Amino acid sequence: MALPQSLRTSVTPPELELVASQLLIEIVPLISMEKTAFISGAYGPLRPPNKAKIPLWMAVNLKMKKKCHIVAPEWLNVDYLQDKLTQETTGPSFSSLPFRFTEIAKVILDVASDDVENPDKLRSLLKDLREARQAKSREGLKTLDHSELSLSNLCSMEINEIRPYFVQSMSILTQLVRNPGPDPLRNP
Amino acid sequence: MVPAPPDDREPDFLEEDVVETPLEQLTRHWMNERHAPDILPAQEALLAALLDHLRRQSDAVQLLRGDPSTSEEEHIRIMLVQTEIERVKFIVRSYVRTRLFKIERYARFITINADIQTRLTAAERDHASRHVPRSTKNLLHAKLTDQHFYLEILQSLPEKQSHLDDTPMFVPPMVTEPDTSRPVFVHALKQCPTVRLPDGATLDMKKGHVSLMPYAIVEQLVARGEVELI
Repeated sequence: MALPQSLRTSVTPPELELVASQLLIEIVPLISMEKTAFISGAYGPLRPPNKAKIPLWMAVNLKMKKKCHIVAPEWLNVDYLQDKLTQETTGPSFSSLPFRFTEIAKVILDVASDDVENPDKLRSLLKDLREARQAKSREGLKTLDHSELSLSNLCSMEINEIRPYFVQSMSILTQLVRNPGPDPLRNP
Repeated sequence: MVPAPPDDREPDFLEEDVVETPLEQLTRHWMNERHAPDILPAQEALLAALLDHLRRQSDAVQLLRGDPSTSEEEHIRIMLVQTEIERVKFIVRSYVRTRLFKIERYARFITINADIQTRLTAAERDHASRHVPRSTKNLLHAKLTDQHFYLEILQSLPEKQSHLDDTPMFVPPMVTEPDTSRPVFVHALKQCPTVRLPDGATLDMKKGHVSLMPYAIVEQLVARGEVELI
């Protein structure tokens, strides 16, 4: 078939990672490179030790060849995430985080954990954040109706995670309240 | 200290205010297509431009590869361009396949619905019609499946029930249609016009708003690029 069964109703986390990897990130290059035209835009020139902004996928590529250091985004540090976690556990609403923070944090911690401070603490904070937010989105299922559900500040990966339950629950609710007016099956 | 976010907005290196590049546009259309229950308008010009760009980049790489005097730094540059080509090809392929999947699934419906046909490219229309019988115009996927159903079952049924588009009482229709009431996750890219929800309430979506609602409500907004599906 044109599309495998597993890809028909949702997208996969690796696909979200692919989308997120297009976002720009700062690096400290260890090689120099002329300004180059890519399909997504022109990047460079790279002149060590000046910082440069390039897409995350490119940074990952260079990092794996030990040709750059990745500068962690300003939200990827212990203080900032600790603060968000406090907000998350004390307030009822979702704290606002960059839309694709899960994907970006994962990629950076996977390939460049030596470029961030205290990677283990970051990992555990990200995990706590995820659990605190997950608990809230499960609560949100209670308020679901057939019409609309606002999910402000929910992030890309979190939406993908709750998608199956939420879409199906809402579909069922829609069937239950469907306007019994003109029904082609009953009015031949 | 936590760095103060610039002008109220959360620090994010997702720069939505700048003009989308062709690749960003295709990525958005790809994700929309993956999430929407219906077939969205074809992006022929955009796709053609990107395929053209892909070809030019590949040619450039081939040319540089042939040069034996490339330095190590030049080598890395070629590798990066090559990597991007593969990334873009993946998105293009997945986008086209997603449409193909929907076209085959709704082939019969496409042949009888003029509105959905306007959203397909000429090649896609041909493919859809590959599967409907000669009687219902010369459309290929619809033709093949129709013939199959007719030969296997329909020809042995009483005349009144031997057509796929019969509407007998108490039986759901046999022609598969896109279910536009299926809920989707919507992300507003700009301030959107007011929409009316199934329960009668209205909703004003501000930029950045995220919501779950039936696809039919936001169909127009998706087509106009005011919201994206996530």
